[in-house]
Amino acid sequence: MTVGRYVSDLEEGDVLGPVEYTISRFVIREYAHAVELHEDCFQHKDGQIAPPTMVHLDKLRLYKSACPEGTGPHARVHIEYDATVHAPVPAEERLSVKGIVSQRYVKRGRDYVHMEIEMRAAETDKLLITYRDTVILSYGGENEKAGG
Amino acid sequence: MDRETNTSDLTIGSELRGRMRLMTRERMRWYVDAQPTVGMDTGRIERQEPTIHDDDGYARSQGLPGIIADGMISTNWILGLLVHQFGDTVAREGALRTKYVKPIYEDDAITSCARVTAIDHQEGGRRVKLDVWCENGEGTVVTVGDATVVLR
Repeated sequence: MTVGRYVSDLEEGDVLGPVEYTISRFVIREYAHAVELHEDCFQHKDGQIAPPTMVHLDKLRLYKSACPEGTGPHARVHIEYDATVHAPVPAEERLSVKGIVSQRYVKRGRDYVHMEIEMRAAETDKLLITYRDTVILSYGGENEKAGG
Repeated sequence: MDRETNTSDLTIGSELRGRMRLMTRERMRWYVDAQPTVGMDTGRIERQEPTIHDDDGYARSQGLPGIIADGMISTNWILGLLVHQFGDTVAREGALRTKYVKPIYEDDAITSCARVTAIDHQEGGRRVKLDVWCENGEGTVVTVGDATVVLR
């Protein structure tokens, strides 16, 4: 496993995590405000759940845990989000997230990395969200397909 | 978009369109700041190192003409369109895939859209499949993908 290195050093088969954390009401509201999801299910105290898109930030959490030296010399560009919601993510739930680098390859000069992430309830191991993330490392400017 | 649309009226080909939003510098920065704020969970707004989404100089150093939006903003705007239409079931069960095919620049006018491609009736409900996308003011598709919404 790549530890203490850059994200750009990740290799196929690397396992990141598991990392545990509690998803607070505050961070759900902040995230939902930031992306203009103003529905009661994300903002109100009663029955509050997380937007499933928050799983994307678990990738950053896993990067930080496994690759604390950061991105590396070039910007990394997110190009695809692919998540399946198996069950809702309640506010104040203790979560466990784990990722595995499922593929890394070069295509047309671009360095692609796929990571499969599972979010589970830490206490019960119930599967909540599975997420496949695709990034291009060493972003090459506006001619690249661009995301975030 | 009509929030009151009855989901039982949906048929294959039904199209949903959200309201147009400008991808302002502020909207880009809200998402940039949300990332360390969520990660650190201090109860305060946290900031991070310059990114291609909030720092023109850094973006130009990476070969861009200026800042571009994080793709997850368009993903979340599509999610919002689906939640608005179908309710919180979208956040409880189902799937969403988005791919960022063109950059979104500052002040681009972005509209989130969805079109029903299949409705599978099953015991206890329906499984609605949709193509989803975001387009800019010129009608150019910048984000594409698909979604599955489970209606019980």
